[in-house]
Amino acid sequence: MSDQVTTQTERAQRFEEQALPYLDGLYGAAMRMTRNPSDAEDLVQETFVKAFAAFDSFEQGTNLKAWLFRILTNTYINSYRKKQRQPHQSSVDELTDYQLHEAESHTSRGLRSAEVEALDLLADDDIVRAMSELPDEFRIAVYLADVEGFPYKEIAEIMETPVGTVMSRLHRGRKMLREQLTQYAIDHGYMPASAASGGEDA
Amino acid sequence: MSCGNPHEVECTTVLEMVYLYIDDELDEIRRVEVVTHLKECYPCAGVFQVETTIKARVQVCCSGQAPQQLRVAIAEQLRQSLSGER
Repeated sequence: MSDQVTTQTERAQRFEEQALPYLDGLYGAAMRMTRNPSDAEDLVQETFVKAFAAFDSFEQGTNLKAWLFRILTNTYINSYRKKQRQPHQSSVDELTDYQLHEAESHTSRGLRSAEVEALDLLADDDIVRAMSELPDEFRIAVYLADVEGFPYKEIAEIMETPVGTVMSRLHRGRKMLREQLTQYAIDHGYMPASAASGGEDA
Repeated sequence: MSCGNPHEVECTTVLEMVYLYIDDELDEIRRVEVVTHLKECYPCAGVFQVETTIKARVQVCCSGQAPQQLRVAIAEQLRQSLSGER
């Protein structure tokens, strides 16, 4: 076996050992992005092909997980989203940000425990459905923070955006998510409509 | 807006930090300020509990498990790229 072949094999082994443990997380993210299993599989596979091809440029000892998620996110935004012919959504960030600095209040005392109970009663599918209704950038930011537990700084690197934008996406995505989930809870009869929007009446 | 009780840190200030808190992005001093506030302010604690609950539900419901066929396909692809068959 020549040295070159050995090196190639070692490289592939190293890649497999290091990258494959993140497969479930990458697939979960791809499912949230594409919202269907077939596209999610294709997206993940393409991500692994790209990552393996670029593995030499990956600096060992730095954050492989974030690097892989960055390739996944890029691949999704640059190709899959176009294929899915969704309306361009990056403009969501440019919408007025007034809500971000709007002071939250808690005028509806005592109703929060009812809201928590109602949220606990929602089916897993309701949570997935509410997530799927968020605009892309919000959904991806919430996934990276909530499911993968990435710090803001790493989400910023993955999404190639300033940390302030990440915070804004999380803030607005979660606000929309909470409103959607509250609506589902009311629709299912888990909480009265009068208990809704307690935090929004500033 | 205040819950009516005196706090070292205002309710509005604490509520602004809800996401930083649940995402573990606060420095230790801020974190202690929030925890102290939540112990003495029931309404703020309620808001934090709602956000914590949603985060936990998303974490469980939206995590994924890759299908076995995908795992196999990726491993196979890697082997093929090595043997130059691609």
